[in-house]
This record gives sequence, structure tokens and C-alpha cells, in this order.
Amino acid sequence: MKELTKIEEILLVAIWRLDEQAYGVKIRQHVSGVLGKEFTYGNLYSALHQLTAKKYVVKTLGESVPSRRGRRRIFYSVSPGGLEALQNARDMNDKLWTGISRFAFDREKI
Amino acid sequence: MKNDTPHPPKFAGWLLRLAARGEDDFAVLGDFDEEYAELAGTRGKVRAAAWYWRHCLRSFPVLVGDFIYWRVIMFINYLKVAFRNIRKQKGYAFINIAGWAVGMTVCTLILLWVQDELSFDRFHQNADRICRLTLDARIGTPQSAPVAPTPAGPALVREYPEILKAARMERPRRAVVKFEDKEFQEEGVGVTENSFFEIFSFPFLAGDPKTALTRPYTAVITESTAKKIFGTASPLGKFLQMDDGKEYAVTGVLKDVPRNSHVTFNVLRSFETLVAENRAATENWFSISTYAYLLLSEKTDPKALEAKLPPFVDKNMGQTLKAVGGTMTLRLQPLERIHLYSNFSLDIAPQGDIATVLLFSGIALLVLLIASINFINLSTARSSTRAKEVGLRKTLGAVRRRLVGQFLGESVIYSLLAMVLAVLLHFPGLRLFGHVIGRAMDTNVFKVPWMLPALLGLALFVGLAAGGYPALLLSSFQPVRVLKGQLKSGGGVWFRRILVVTQFTVSVLLIISTLVISRQISYAKNKKLGFDKEHVLVVPRISAAMRQSYASVRNELKNIPGVLDVGASSMVPGRGISRSVFFPEAFSQEEPQVMDILAVEPGFIPTLGIQIAAGRNFSEAMGTDRNEAVIINETAARRFGWTEPIGKRFVFRPGPGQTGETIYLTVIGMIRDYHTISLHQKIEPQLVRYNPDSLNMISLRLAADNVSRTLDLLKQAWRKLDPQGALDYFFLDEAFDSQYRAEERMETITLDFSLLAVLIGCLGLFGMSSFTVERRTKEIGIRKVLGSSVAGIVRLLSKETVLLIIVANAIAWPVAYYLMNIWLQRFAYRTTISPWVFAAAALLSILTAFLTVSFQSVRAALSKPADALRYE
Repeated sequence: MKELTKIEEILLVAIWRLDEQAYGVKIRQHVSGVLGKEFTYGNLYSALHQLTAKKYVVKTLGESVPSRRGRRRIFYSVSPGGLEALQNARDMNDKLWTGISRFAFDREKI
Repeated sequence: MKNDTPHPPKFAGWLLRLAARGEDDFAVLGDFDEEYAELAGTRGKVRAAAWYWRHCLRSFPVLVGDFIYWRVIMFINYLKVAFRNIRKQKGYAFINIAGWAVGMTVCTLILLWVQDELSFDRFHQNADRICRLTLDARIGTPQSAPVAPTPAGPALVREYPEILKAARMERPRRAVVKFEDKEFQEEGVGVTENSFFEIFSFPFLAGDPKTALTRPYTAVITESTAKKIFGTASPLGKFLQMDDGKEYAVTGVLKDVPRNSHVTFNVLRSFETLVAENRAATENWFSISTYAYLLLSEKTDPKALEAKLPPFVDKNMGQTLKAVGGTMTLRLQPLERIHLYSNFSLDIAPQGDIATVLLFSGIALLVLLIASINFINLSTARSSTRAKEVGLRKTLGAVRRRLVGQFLGESVIYSLLAMVLAVLLHFPGLRLFGHVIGRAMDTNVFKVPWMLPALLGLALFVGLAAGGYPALLLSSFQPVRVLKGQLKSGGGVWFRRILVVTQFTVSVLLIISTLVISRQISYAKNKKLGFDKEHVLVVPRISAAMRQSYASVRNELKNIPGVLDVGASSMVPGRGISRSVFFPEAFSQEEPQVMDILAVEPGFIPTLGIQIAAGRNFSEAMGTDRNEAVIINETAARRFGWTEPIGKRFVFRPGPGQTGETIYLTVIGMIRDYHTISLHQKIEPQLVRYNPDSLNMISLRLAADNVSRTLDLLKQAWRKLDPQGALDYFFLDEAFDSQYRAEERMETITLDFSLLAVLIGCLGLFGMSSFTVERRTKEIGIRKVLGSSVAGIVRLLSKETVLLIIVANAIAWPVAYYLMNIWLQRFAYRTTISPWVFAAAALLSILTAFLTVSFQSVRAALSKPADALRYE
């Protein structure tokens, strides 16, 4: 299995965390918070399309809300394949950082 | 929906809608609106608008890129499915793609050729201002020719200010050119004036275009000739010996003449040479054999100018014309019309014909129509067998748009594959086609800028049309009905029948034409001509010295073993004819009679095997034969009403203003009619004189065996007789039969096209019949269970097709009869259109169609009924 890209990883985690509330607006706001800068819808949907094609997420059509002018939401949820990929990413991250102190790169302390 | 929902900026919204076109477009737009509304509520409209704009602009490129990316992915997916389908149904895919590819190839070839024909002479800078002088003359019989009196060109420039330049040219012919001790056979040795290069755009590679041909005994040669004769050395200033024995200085090298020029040449001698040698001849208004090109000033209307020419002719030639009771009109033929619109029997080079261009364009359209309809039809027929697949896909949740895309994509891909195949096929096709039309085709689709886009457009259009119908029809099916098998595709049956009839009408028409044309050609080649054309070798030009010493030349040649007889004449059959007016006795001065004239010596008539019907041949022993005797042919005797022609006389009175006595020529013999020209022309009255000064050609009758040895001996002997020139010769039968080259070409063309039409028709039939058989599998099974024989089932399945072919024959016969009768009119002597031609065409078409169809139906009929009934 191919490794997830960083942005895919962030998105999958966001979707998993948001659970019932994982649709465009919430995902974008969440990811923006994580990144510490504005994440655009263009990048969001481009990445979501990739995740959908790789079958890491599944889409369900939601209801319409007045503030959306009658347009329905698409809710995303992480598929079993997606969960597995996340698990792998987590393992890899752990391995990658094992034994490295949180302050290892903190130059001022030295 | 509440009314107080704030509206995001309009233009930004429009931009966003433009960019978000992927499948989740509504979600993107909804998210934008939702977040905007939220922001507008918490932080005010202005900030919300700013946010909206910022995000919109930043998302725009990514959204567009994303959309394009997925489109490409989707297209690749369609491609995959289409290729999978092609692999799954190889036979059908092959028939469909091959048929359409062949159709497109043929159409491409013809269009390339038409484009080539239309491009003739357009490369000259002044193309629209160049005219050629032609004349309509009536001296006895009416005649038209693309030549003009030799002095006419310069005289016109002097008298008409709107004519800027004139150039005279002698017809380029084959000649031997010598450099030092090497001899070269050169095609296209012509004569012209220096102004030729000011009128036309034939660029110089070396030499001065302003002075190249201004002096006598100078010549200009083309690049390839220069390379052939001089290799890499510079030809300028070198001397070439032409077949008149004179040395010519090379003063220029031209780029090779483009193939799409109506006149081609390799060597041009200066016209000044002719002036220097015989000024009087170039100033004789009745020496009418040079071609004259004129350059008109801007905005001169050739028609208006032409109307001003009669006084010019009257001033220079009126008196003499009046004396012989003739008229002559000079005409101006625009350069761009020479190649396609002139139809003179003796043009400067063989030209094309707009009728052929139109005919071919018509055929191209027809082939294209048949092939494209075939393609559409087959795709449609085939797709209805896929109704079930569509039903299944729909129940599994396929969106209609996807299905339409799938079908359209598939047929477009088929069509594009056919196009690629056609482009590949057209390269060998060009060679074949060039062979058919008798001239090399050095163009291809990549050299004509509009050709590839046109082909692509055509392939896309037909692909869309072929996929469009099934795509829209099938995708609209209700899955339940389709899966239950309630779909009938009855429509289009009549359409298919009409298609088959059309295709086979064309095929039968072409088959009949081919047969008639080939019968006429073999008739023309085998008809008794009144002389024996086999084993006659002709030397078409002899030097003045040989003419002087003809008697000894003749003896020398006759002594060669294998040479049976030798004769000389001014012309041989099939090589053109000169005509003049004569006054047979008892005809008044107002009734001049036009006759073919031929000068011979006594050996010619027996050498060619021309029969003497009455009287005697000329004789060397009779001194009076040279000046006072003539021989006529049977047609002449009939025309003049002479039952006893021997002893009748022709009268020559001096014209008005001329002095001299009245001369009488007495008929001493009558020869049987023989064909002096091809069978296109009627035999005309002929007058043969014994005139040693006009002998140009020597004919040798050879023994039938060991011709090559005789030829070797002849070449050796010739070297002794004429140390200056090499032996230039042709065989009379080949030369005579070459007059039917146009017809032979026509035969090849109709043959090729009829094969093609039958092929495409059969491909269509084959596909259609396999489709029918497939649809009727169950019916066939039941019939067999109920006791039908194999033959019975084959009959059932083939009956309709055979009926359609019979209808096609019924339509094609009268049309073919009518057209072929018109075509045969070009021959004065022609074969009849015999009934077996029609029978053969009918048999051939029915047989091929039947075989095509029965290939499928026999297979169906032989299959086990149980398999057929179980096929679901």
C-alpha cells in the first residue's frame, strides 16, 4: 500500500475527528486550524476527490440548509481502507519519532 | 429558503460557478455560501465579501485544474472500456473500423488529387494576369488550337498597351543532348524567349534572368538536368550540342519545374536562335505552331481585350484568309484555365480535365457517404444488442450522462482509430493512385494544411453521429423493460435497405462501366486498321543530310538481317496529321475540300502494309510521279463521287495576287482506307504525294523473331549513317495504342472503384447479416426444431438481400446504359454494349452479396437448435 501524503493524512484525521459533522465547511475550518493558515476549498476538494478515488473515504448526501441556498451537503466518512491507511501512517510516524526528544531541535536551550 | 440570507458578491459567485464543474460542484458552492452566511452574520458583510473574494480567487486555478484532471481520467477510462470492447468483438470492430478507414482513405486520396489538380499554375506571381493565345480557325473545317501565328506575340505588345509582355514557346519534345562525348536523352527540350522568365516565376539558381536567352545559341537548363550532365561542376559557359548539330552555351540554371505546372521542360533554347537561322519563318503569319503567353497589365479584362483583337487579325492576315475563304479568331485563355478547362487535341503537354475532377469529387463524396452511413448503421445495429448491458448498468446506478459518454466515447474512438488507419493507408494508397492516374503524387495529408483538421473533424462528426443515436436512445430505456426483453429495434429497417440498394447500385454501375470500357479498348486495339502495326519500328526524326541521301540510307538499312522493308514518310499513323485544302476537278474555287496530306516515297506504302485498291503505287522510275501524281484513299473517292478515281485530277490555281501557272495533279492510285489517327476519329479523305523533301520519319518492318538482335545491328548501322545523333525510335503498335492511354486509365479507375464499392458494400452486408442472424438465433432454432432444412434457413436469411441486389441492378442498368453510350460517343468506331455485360454485372453482384450473407446464415443454420434455444 502506498503511504498517505501529509495533506491526505491531515484530511483523514480531520474527517475521523469530525465524525458526523465532516462536510466541506467544517473540514476546511478544522484543517485551517491545524495548519495555522487558511486552507482553500480548491485544495480541499482536489484532495477529497483523490481520497474518494482511492476509496479511503465514502460520500453520503446530506440535507439542504437555507444558508446554502438549497444546495445539499456532502458528508465524508473514513472507509475501512482509510482507517487501515491511517493506522499505517500512525505506526510510521511513531517509528519515525521514537527516541527523539521533543526538545531535540530546540537550539536555544543548548 | 429564507429571504434574508445574504447574497455573496455576484461576480465572484459567477467565477466560482465557472470553475467548480466537477461532480461535487454543488457541495463546493454550498460550502462557500454557508461559510459566507456565517461570516456575514458574525463579522459583517464587508469582511464576509472580502473573505469570499479571496477564497474564490485562490481556489479558482485549483478547481479548474482538478476538473480538467478528472476529465482526462474519465476519458482514459472510456478509452479502456472501448478497447476492451474492441478486443471482445474483434470481428465486428474490424469490419466497422476497416470499412470506414477504407472509405476515408479513398476520399483522402481523391481530395489530395483534386487539390493537386486545382493548384496548377497558381505558383506564378502574376498567375492572374497571364494569358495564352489560342485560335479558332475555319479553313475548310473548323479547328481550334492553343497556338498562335509566330509573329503575333511581339506584334500584340507593340499595338496594345495593356499587353505588357509576350513570350513565344515551341512545344518541348524529347531530344538527344550531347556534352563533349556523352549523350543524354532529354525529355522536354523547348524553345522560348527571354521574356518567358519575366512573365512566369521560374526562379534562376545561376545565370542572369535578364539576359539568359537574349542571344542566339544560348540555352537554360533545369537543376536536375544540370546535375545529370555536369555533375557538380558549374554548367554556366559550357556548351551543349543539340540534335540540330549546333552548339549552345548554357547561360542559366533554373530550379526544377514544379510538377503542377501546365508546361514542363528541362532545356530551353533561345528563340533568337530560330530568328538567326530563318528570320523569314519567324515573321510568317501563317506559320502557326508556337505557343504564345501574354502578360497583361493590372486590371485588364481578358474578355474585353479579346473583343479588340479581330481588327488585329484582319490587318495582318485578312488578305490571305480571304483568298482561301477562311476565317480566324484569336482568343485569350487565362493561365489558370489552361490545365483544367482547355480541351485541345494538341496542347503543349497533356492537360487535365475539369469533368474528371468533378467526376472524381463526386465519387469521393459517394464513397464517403456510403462508408460513413455504413459505419453509423453498423454501430447502431450493434449497440441495440447491448441494450441489456445498459439496463444492467442503470440498475447498478450508472448516471445517464455517463452512459451517453460511454457510447459516444466508444464510437468516437472507433472513428478516430479508423482515421489513424486511413492516414497510414493513404501512403501506399498514394503510390497506387499515382499509378492509376499515370502521374506521381508527391503530396500527402501532411503537406496540405487543411487536410488533417478536415479529416479529424469528419471522424469526430461521424463518430458522434454513430454514437449519438444509440447513446440517447439506450440511455433513456427503462431498465425493467430492457431486462425483460421488451425492446424492439424495428426502426431503421427501411433505412438499411435503402443503404444496401444504394451501395450496390453504385457497384453495379461501376462494374458495367469497367466491362464496357475494357471491351471498347480491346476492340480498338484489335480492330483491323488498314495497315499492319505489328513489328514496325519508326525513327521519328532524320537529319537533313539523311533526307538528301535517302536512297543509300534505305539500301543500307534494308541490308540489315531482320529488316524486311524500309519506307519513309512525313508522318506515321497515330502521330498526328496535317490537313490542307484542295480543289478536285469539277469543284469550284468556292468549294475547297479539306484533306489529310501525307508525303511518302515509294517504299512507305508496302512497308506499312497499306493495300492498294486500284491503280498503282508511286515508282522511282517514273519521273513524273514526283510532281504530278497523287494517291488518294477510298473515302476521298467516295466524298468526291469518283467511281473511277484513276486519272482524275486536282487543280492548283495561283491565289489572287500570286503569279504562276495552274498546276494539275493526277490520281494514279487509290489505297484502301486505313486509320491515320485513333479510332476516336473518322477516316477523312487523304491525299498522298511523292515528296522526298518532306520525309521526316523512317519506318522499318522487322521480322517477328530476334527483334533485339536486329535492334543491335540497326544501332550499329545507324552510327555509321548519322555520326551526329543516336538512334531514337519507337514501335508503331505501342505508339498507336498509346492513344488509348486515357481510356485505359479510365478502365483502371472504374475497376478499382468498383472493387472498392463492392468491398465496402460487402463489409456492410456482412456486418448487417451477422447482426440479423444474432437477433434471429431463437427463431432459427425453433424453425429447425420444427423441421426446417439448412437450405431452407439459408434461403430465408438471404432472400431479402438478394432481392435488394436485384433492385439495385434494375436501377443501375438504365443509368449505366445511358452513361456508357455517352462515353462511347468519343469513339467514331465503337463496339456495341452487349447484353452479357449486364448479365455479368448482375451475376457478380448477386453472387458476392449472397456469399457474404450466407457465410453467416449457413453458420446459423448449421448450429444445433438446442444451443440456439439455450443461448440465454
